[in-house]
Amino acid sequence: MKPAAFSMEKLREAVRSLPNDALSTTRAAALANLDEHGFPTTRHEDWKYTDLGQAIDISNRWLASGTASTPNESLNKSIAVLTKSIDANWLIISNGLVDTTRFDEDTGIQVDRFSESAAPFIVDRPLADLNAALLQDGLRVQIHTATEKPLGLLVIDEADDGASVSQVNVEIEVAPGCDVEVVEYHCSSGVGDHYSNSVVALNVGEAAIAHYVRIQDRRIGHVQTGRVSIALGKDARLKMASYDVGGGLIRNDIDVDLSEPGADANFNGLYLAGDGQHIDNHTRVDHRVGPASSSQEYRGILSGHSRCVWNGKAIVHKGADGTDANQENHNLLLSENAEIDAKPELEIYADDVKCSHGTTVGQLDEAALFYLRARGLDIQQATEVLTLAFATDLVGRTPVSATRDVVSSLVESRLAKLIADQAS
Amino acid sequence: MLEINHLKSRIGDTEILRGMSLSVNAGEVHAIMGPNGSGKSTLAQVIAGHSDYIVTDGSVSYMGKDLLELEPEERAREGIFLGFQYPVEIPGVNNAYLLKAAVNARRKHQGLAEVDAFEFLKIAREKMAMLGMDPKFLNRGVNEGFSGGEKKRNEILQMAMLEPSLAILDETDSGLDIDALRAVAEGINTLRAPDRAIILVTHYQRLLDYIEPDFVHVLSEGKIVRSGDKSLALELEERGYDWVHEAATA
Repeated sequence: MKPAAFSMEKLREAVRSLPNDALSTTRAAALANLDEHGFPTTRHEDWKYTDLGQAIDISNRWLASGTASTPNESLNKSIAVLTKSIDANWLIISNGLVDTTRFDEDTGIQVDRFSESAAPFIVDRPLADLNAALLQDGLRVQIHTATEKPLGLLVIDEADDGASVSQVNVEIEVAPGCDVEVVEYHCSSGVGDHYSNSVVALNVGEAAIAHYVRIQDRRIGHVQTGRVSIALGKDARLKMASYDVGGGLIRNDIDVDLSEPGADANFNGLYLAGDGQHIDNHTRVDHRVGPASSSQEYRGILSGHSRCVWNGKAIVHKGADGTDANQENHNLLLSENAEIDAKPELEIYADDVKCSHGTTVGQLDEAALFYLRARGLDIQQATEVLTLAFATDLVGRTPVSATRDVVSSLVESRLAKLIADQAS
Repeated sequence: MLEINHLKSRIGDTEILRGMSLSVNAGEVHAIMGPNGSGKSTLAQVIAGHSDYIVTDGSVSYMGKDLLELEPEERAREGIFLGFQYPVEIPGVNNAYLLKAAVNARRKHQGLAEVDAFEFLKIAREKMAMLGMDPKFLNRGVNEGFSGGEKKRNEILQMAMLEPSLAILDETDSGLDIDALRAVAEGINTLRAPDRAIILVTHYQRLLDYIEPDFVHVLSEGKIVRSGDKSLALELEERGYDWVHEAATA
């Protein structure tokens, strides 16, 4: 079957219907860009394993049905619960609409809306153009001093009947020398189909440290493409962890740009997938100068009919001597119907470089399983204990301690569900 | 308590147990000795229910039940404890968590209330002191980075916590220095009880210097070829396994 084409005509209409504001020029430029490049397809090397047909289909149906985003009152209860679960200072984007009412004015943080001030910097990457073309609003957050609570960014969508699409765009600037914590939390609910497309830019100033946690707990079946573009200044540090526990078709692109010496990026990820889920993590680190270091460890637990992708690209550019890049990806397959495509990619154009990678794919350790059963744990309990042990290290190492309880309870309950489904 | 009748078992295509019989009553301590490959560990694994060991003939009854019908976890909950020759390292699973889950699985099966955290810690610390174990082992991953001696002490700690009716200790003495051997043996001796049977599977008789068995059996080529009291172990030590084997086949 020929994949459905994206309705450019309808998109143009939708863009035209948006108000004339500070974003108008950006939208026009993005539209032209999208016209030229189109949606990525599986013919593109970076999209080989992930077919965006479902995202195109939802977008087309949403464009055909009129594209109004309305504030959804029923979301207020969920927002109240979620913002209480992690002690943070929250900015909210619900159904694509920016809501700053829950944010405590903080002298250390300046928050501006794109629609009222300057347009966002357009990230020249696939789907960032779609994001900018349809953007109604976005946030620029400048963190000038270390704050007491983490900065929270809650992206929440309620999908009514039919199809809906939301675009999220946030830029975060961390001033030199600041030690900050940021939480990006995506979730969704509702009976309809939903596609969320987010672009987050994080610029970490000289000698600053960003602790960054990204949680994706969307309704099973919902579609999300999310890009995080991170740039580290001189001697800046990133400590990041991503947790994918929900969603249907999920694609994360984590880009890290190291253009200043002394930078150190550490980013890890955990993905849990069950029946019908497809979770694709593409990471890319550009080592443009040395000395600088990057390290990543992604772990996945796959059950049922699920498919995951991990593609870790590290490019060590010419002259980036003194680069230290390490990547690891480990997968636990609980089902013979689960598939992982794991691909480390190193491109090295410098001489004095230390690069390493390791990838493993395995099943539960039979000896450990028997040992636990011989102590009276039934198969399901033993399986839960062992899969949780595989994940627990990354959960324990969450760089924002305020997220620990939420992350461990999300991971534990999702694993219990995956294992119960697998057993039935 | 345990009746093994003409048991035959294989792993893959290799037949290991070739019609062995053994009867064990409550309160007794049996030592099963034999050369490498005689089937000692296979016997232990079959009783615990390891699925790699296929039973092809014979029967095993435990407290009047057909043991071979039960899953490994059901056997454990019914009071069978296997002390592993090679305890498995399970990084990421807390030792205290496993102990508590094991104790509660057994208690639930017995219709008893789950043990609360405070009571559990109190008992665990007492038993650890008896075995000369540092309480910090409770918070480590199961057997993770434990020395050989620490792993074996940990097995006996589990046994002490679970209070099994039938314990099979597979080469519990292997890899232990003399202090560890003494601590482990003392631990086992304190667990001797009129309502509990213990089977010691061992290659050497030195463990039996510390734990006096009621019966000693010699396993050779998958069968018990000789049974006796503790003096048999000493005789074996002196004359070697070839002696029994020759006597059996003569």
